[in-house]
Amino acid sequence: MFLPKLRARVAHESGGYLLETNELGFRSASEVKIEKQQVLVFGDSFTAGDGVSNGKRWSDTLAREFDRAEFHNFALPGSGTDQQYLIWRKFARDRQSDLIVIAVLVENIRRIMSAWRPASNEEGQTVFRAKPYFELKDGLLVRGHDPVPIESVTASELGEASVDLGGRFPTLRRMLNRLEVKDLVQSLTGYQPVPDYDHPDTPGWQLMRAILVKWLGEIRTIHDCAVAVVPLPLYQHVEGTADPKAYQARFSELGADLNVHILDPLPALQGYSQLERRGFRFERDVHLTQAGHAAVAEALAPRIRDLLECAS
Amino acid sequence: MSYVLGVSAFYHDSAAAIVSTDDGEIIAAAQEERFSRKKHDPRFPAGAINYCLEEAFIEPESIDAVVFYDNSALTIDRVVRNFMSVAPRGRDGFVTAIRSVLGDKLELPELLSQTLGADRPFWFVDHHLSHASSAFYPAPFEDAAILTIDGVGEHATLSIGHGTGRKIEMLKEINYPHSLGLLYSAVTAYCGFKVNSGEYKLMGLAPYGEPVYAQTIEDHLIDIRPDGSFRLNMDYFAYPEGAEMTGSRFHELFGGPPRAQESRIRIRDMDLAASIQAVTEKVVLRLAKHAREITGSRNLVMAGGVALNCVANGHLHRTGLFDGIWVQPAAGDAGGALGAALYAAHTAFDALRPVGDRDRQKGSYLGPRFTPAEVESLVDRLGLVAEHIPDSAARAMRIAGEIAEGKVVGRLAGRMEYGPRALGARSILGDPRDTKMQSRMNLSIKYRESFRPFAPAIMHDRVAEVFEHEDESPYMLMVAPVRAERRLPFGWEDFRRGGADMLDAVNRPRSDVPAVTHVDYSARLQTVHPEDNPEFYKLLDAFEKLTGCPLLINTSFNVRGEPIVMTPEDAIRCFFRTEMDILVLEEHILFKDAQPKQEDDDEWRSEFELD
Repeated sequence: MFLPKLRARVAHESGGYLLETNELGFRSASEVKIEKQQVLVFGDSFTAGDGVSNGKRWSDTLAREFDRAEFHNFALPGSGTDQQYLIWRKFARDRQSDLIVIAVLVENIRRIMSAWRPASNEEGQTVFRAKPYFELKDGLLVRGHDPVPIESVTASELGEASVDLGGRFPTLRRMLNRLEVKDLVQSLTGYQPVPDYDHPDTPGWQLMRAILVKWLGEIRTIHDCAVAVVPLPLYQHVEGTADPKAYQARFSELGADLNVHILDPLPALQGYSQLERRGFRFERDVHLTQAGHAAVAEALAPRIRDLLECAS
Repeated sequence: MSYVLGVSAFYHDSAAAIVSTDDGEIIAAAQEERFSRKKHDPRFPAGAINYCLEEAFIEPESIDAVVFYDNSALTIDRVVRNFMSVAPRGRDGFVTAIRSVLGDKLELPELLSQTLGADRPFWFVDHHLSHASSAFYPAPFEDAAILTIDGVGEHATLSIGHGTGRKIEMLKEINYPHSLGLLYSAVTAYCGFKVNSGEYKLMGLAPYGEPVYAQTIEDHLIDIRPDGSFRLNMDYFAYPEGAEMTGSRFHELFGGPPRAQESRIRIRDMDLAASIQAVTEKVVLRLAKHAREITGSRNLVMAGGVALNCVANGHLHRTGLFDGIWVQPAAGDAGGALGAALYAAHTAFDALRPVGDRDRQKGSYLGPRFTPAEVESLVDRLGLVAEHIPDSAARAMRIAGEIAEGKVVGRLAGRMEYGPRALGARSILGDPRDTKMQSRMNLSIKYRESFRPFAPAIMHDRVAEVFEHEDESPYMLMVAPVRAERRLPFGWEDFRRGGADMLDAVNRPRSDVPAVTHVDYSARLQTVHPEDNPEFYKLLDAFEKLTGCPLLINTSFNVRGEPIVMTPEDAIRCFFRTEMDILVLEEHILFKDAQPKQEDDDEWRSEFELD
């Protein structure tokens, strides 16, 4: 979580971006106008808007398009779908909502499999901080790290515990990044960044599915509102160096099974030129640029409009 | 709303400032050294620029222009001319200077574009016009004579101008190498202090000496004319050639080589300090008189590094030559960023310039602030113990009570000061009545030379009770005598004769507020007004209620060589490195003896180069 009521400009390769948080510590407006439709958005840094100012994110761009709706962004950088579900439970379960948008960066499938995340301590050393997580035991979700330990641990203390290191082959990735040939190597090797979507029965997808089933189920018991799941692609999928079919198939199955709206922005994003698509991420930072956010918003807008019209 | 961003960089004290083009309101200003933690940092002020946009909370598209505080083409011209005048000597100095001008400055547009994330119109303002603008536009005068004095800008080392409304007219200047600032710096270097930081120490040393060399200086080094203009005898100086400030003739004139840095300070150094101070005051007074004559104005505003000479400012104030005197608190090159921005806002964008009873500098509290939530989060993360007192009156009384019991308090509260002086927002505070406090704070907390005096911060409405001064001095830029009836007889002659050491002399009581009374009974005043800093005023008021004393010792929150702290993290680090007793971080109070044991941390000695 961010500190509440924060106003900062974060230095970034783009120059910098303006970050403003509400009293809960989310990059979102505090205001709730009763007469407006309420849209609650959940996700990670691709939805929270790392790299761009609040007003330039896809959720804010949509908010400007639909002036009868108020968008509240509950996204948290570095979080997985498991934590986003807990955020909904803690901060938003009792809020009025006409539409709930769950944005799943497809890479989140790796985050939900981990119980620890790397972080830097005061001395700049890498340590590992606990995160809440779930395990599937006999088909049931069981919460781990409850409560979440506050103390961080070192790599040696961590042992065999599951850690999300931000992607596959972290050492090789760092080396390729340093040589500035990562994109080329990934393209030549047909690198698939998220193999957990390859089959419906992989542990990763089973867990992701279970979390979303539980989340959707709880929403439906409390609210009579529309729910949309937005699988946000990685840049490799947008730029055509990785095959998205597996994750698209999994989310498509999920939509049919649970009767939930799957809003896939990828086909629209693939309609842009290669040069434009490269411009959807920064030169070094893989997060969405302002152009990337605008393109995602444009891709989602028609379906969001339909859902809001139905909700009203 | 649109804005102008001012930038100073690549010489010393880089900074950025942002002002509104509607009415010239100063939104934010800060020096890069506070972000980079490198004192007098001359590098491109990326941190300060980022902060300016953060405070204004704007995208770069809202910036109508970025204005640099000097004209690089003219600076190149001066550097080349200077080299040609001394060639083939001075090659090293030439290479250094030209590399600075042609290297870093050529990259300026690209660095700005990277930091802002957009290309914005980019302009230059002449160096002394930037200083003049920083002095005139925020001042509470519709009309004022302007005096700027520093080491060197492009060519000018001193200028006289006239400001009326939104217009500034530059009337006269003196050009390099004839420079009052560089003369002062030359003596600073000769007395064993660093140029561009030691001048303030030399000024503090002056009251220990006698001006026995003043006539020698006038006879050999500087020819002062009735209008205050002057010429230096360059046979005595080495600065046009590069690294050294003074030449062999200078050393012969004063009887030997320069004092080695950090070596024992001698009577000669003190007398030289007193002498150059006397000469400086004479020049400044003549220049001010001349400025009044040619402008006809009853007000004076000043900027440039020499304007930080608060002893000279106080002297000028006591002459009664002007009805009002206002000195830009960021008088050095850092203030050039603000001046450049203000000049563009008022002249290119026709920003209004409302003039009221009080200045528009906002107490110079123009830097970053931190919320109690941020402090609480940090304190929790570091496992520290803090007392949270949200009520400001109760908090003031609690802190005042501790100070009255002899505790030394580091205080971080509100927006950080712009300029070299700590004015209560990033200050170390103590009881001025304690005779041992000056040496304790110098040696155990600031780790600096024992002779250096401390300044009083006093309730603005009580100043005349303690000092022979009735006006406001909000920026610690005026020196005034302690009232005669509060002084104590002070045996000083044995020290002059070598019969006592400096520490012994410093510890002798000189008044009923000895820790802020210099050996000549002077004090460098900060008057605190509740409109500028209500919290600090409350603290002084609480201390007065407890003790009857309406003032506190106020010194900058840092150790020697360290930039003044900016963030709560900086403050905590400094707190644990020194013998400070209490740390105030906004609404939270940390008592040293209640904290978990910390590892001994002597890192500051290697982390910060001694100034």
